[in-house]
Amino acid sequence: FVAFYILQYYITVILKFASVGKSCLLLQFTDKRFQPVHDLTIGVEFGARMITIDGKQIKLQIWDTAGQESFRSITRSYYRGAAGALLVYDITRRDTFNHLTTWLEDARQHSNSNMVIMLIGNKSDLESRREVKKEEGEAFAREHGLIFMETSAKTASNVEEAFINTAKEIYEKIQEGVFDINNEANGIKIGPQHAATNSSLAGGQGGQQAGGGCC
Amino acid sequence: MSQNENSPSDPGKNMEGQDPKMPSSSTQGDSSADIESDKSTDVAPICKTRRRPESKPPPEFHEAADTRSPAEHASEAATQMTTAQGGWGYWGNWGKSLLSTATATVATVGQGLSQVIEKAETSLGIPSSEDLAAQVEEEEKADGQSGSEADKGERDSYAVGGAMGMFSSLSSVVQNTGKTVISGGLDALEFIGKKTMDVIAEGDPGFKKTKGLMSRTSTLSQVLREAKEHEEQQTANVTLETEKKAHYGVLFDEFQGLSHLEALEILSRESEAKVKSVLTTLSGEELAQLREELDRIREAFSLMEFDEEEEVDEVKEDDGENFVNGLTDALKKLHISSTAERLGKARKNAFDRITDMKLPTEEQSSVQDAEVTRCTIEDAHMSAITSLAELTARSIEQFHKVAEMLLHSSSGEVTALEQAKVLSQITIVLCKEITLLSKKFTACLTTIGSNENREVLNPLITGVFLEASNSASYIQDAFQLLIPVLEVSLIQRTAASGQ
Repeated sequence: FVAFYILQYYITVILKFASVGKSCLLLQFTDKRFQPVHDLTIGVEFGARMITIDGKQIKLQIWDTAGQESFRSITRSYYRGAAGALLVYDITRRDTFNHLTTWLEDARQHSNSNMVIMLIGNKSDLESRREVKKEEGEAFAREHGLIFMETSAKTASNVEEAFINTAKEIYEKIQEGVFDINNEANGIKIGPQHAATNSSLAGGQGGQQAGGGCC
Repeated sequence: MSQNENSPSDPGKNMEGQDPKMPSSSTQGDSSADIESDKSTDVAPICKTRRRPESKPPPEFHEAADTRSPAEHASEAATQMTTAQGGWGYWGNWGKSLLSTATATVATVGQGLSQVIEKAETSLGIPSSEDLAAQVEEEEKADGQSGSEADKGERDSYAVGGAMGMFSSLSSVVQNTGKTVISGGLDALEFIGKKTMDVIAEGDPGFKKTKGLMSRTSTLSQVLREAKEHEEQQTANVTLETEKKAHYGVLFDEFQGLSHLEALEILSRESEAKVKSVLTTLSGEELAQLREELDRIREAFSLMEFDEEEEVDEVKEDDGENFVNGLTDALKKLHISSTAERLGKARKNAFDRITDMKLPTEEQSSVQDAEVTRCTIEDAHMSAITSLAELTARSIEQFHKVAEMLLHSSSGEVTALEQAKVLSQITIVLCKEITLLSKKFTACLTTIGSNENREVLNPLITGVFLEASNSASYIQDAFQLLIPVLEVSLIQRTAASGQ
């Protein structure tokens, strides 16, 4: 799950999207470090990072959902209200690739239809143990209308790109008006809408706040 | 802030309007306050302030009021305010009444607080929080020597009643509600909070519209998110000066409190829907039985029970071990795999911050010169707010994890009802810790700021108290979110055993 936070002239937009498993990817993205051993994710964990798209500062709020089957019914609850998702498999384990269809169906069924989904083949550094060819990943993505990328949480290869490209895709959808940013169910939340000229305002005196804001 | 906001309405009126038991009832109090203040907008705040001590104390307090100097009054009240720990459950309710007004909450959570409080303080003539806190330290020392704490406490509470006649009407409300633990200090807090609301209300045209906030349309996380966004906006607007200010909402989000709260809300909402749909499928005896069981769970969640269990171990304050062990034991009783590790860490961080601040001040007491102080009052305030935000975020995280584990695996070893009781115990422990933290931090602030301008120091101290109260109320609200989750868990267990 990822939530976005766009701070544009004090306009705040939040998007969310779901990611499946792979806490390492998240840690690499948020903290720029790799930690091979992770506690099992229970339910969902969170991470956040500021990025810049189109000169605008965006806060990505990432919901890292548990990959375990037994948590499916819980993580499902979290899909709703996500604007995007990273669907992650392990290129050294074919079984994770084979499960993609189920996860994808689940995500699509329990989320907003406009949710941007990126398919990620992780552990690209372990070329020697590869079980799933890059072409297979690409084909799956094409077939299901996903964006595709191979990453390595260990070497940080493509990790930035994966999250940022997903964010960009969502950003473009907002620009095109695909997402109804006034509907929180889309994972997009708008903060107080004050014009750019706001800097001349004397810093939020008491009652001024939050006027337009969220629905 | 305009001048209007300074004009307080009759304090007695406001307090009567506020039933501590029912947050929603603050609406009534507010509306009467609104009307009042509309009339008195032109009155200079000073007059009201001066008039304050004349407000009629109930007869039995007359003597005390007459013989004591205002300074004494103030300090007595302070003692109460800071040492009182019993009524945190009450705090929570107060916090909820804050929450019941959207815009007010937005203004209250962190941002703009200092101005608001300052206004509230000046217009109220509430004794300066610095005085209050300073006195606490002295009192603590004195108490250590005399050892007659019980006596003292009693005397103090009378003195408060006398000094602040205006509190008495509130106390009577409190008594009527059957709460015994609440002491004068919390009344004072409540009072400040209430006045703060009025001050905000008067300056905020949107206030009336948004009163029913915590009703269906809005959730706690939304309120907090708005608060945070406003704080961020403020930080973006005003430059360096505000950047140093401690924003509770922003910090709470940085500790991922907001995300955990949102996630918990999602689970709570879905569980609620599930329970409803299950209830519609049942009928007759089955339905009656389930309803009864659900009611029992709800009962265990009712905050009223808290106060009684609560008084017991107030004396042992500093034991970090106690906090972690207590939580760990409680979590074990839930029979779900969940540890208090992160909460323990948050608490440790908070106390480390206090220790860091205290070091210089202890040296100081022998040298008797404040210049030794390494840390500024702004730093201390920042530490306090950070600590409160962190511990609150971790508390909500804990509840969120508990919710996930409850839905994930229903244990046969313990009943949902037992779990509900354990969870309310955990809530008590957490809120107590918040109270303790706020006391420690305000004591630090007072020591560090002994040479500072009161106009700078007081709002900071009051701010810590208010955020502590808010924290306790967020924790309790999060705790309430667990009700439907436990209900689903109960239903799942019943279904499993039925098969």
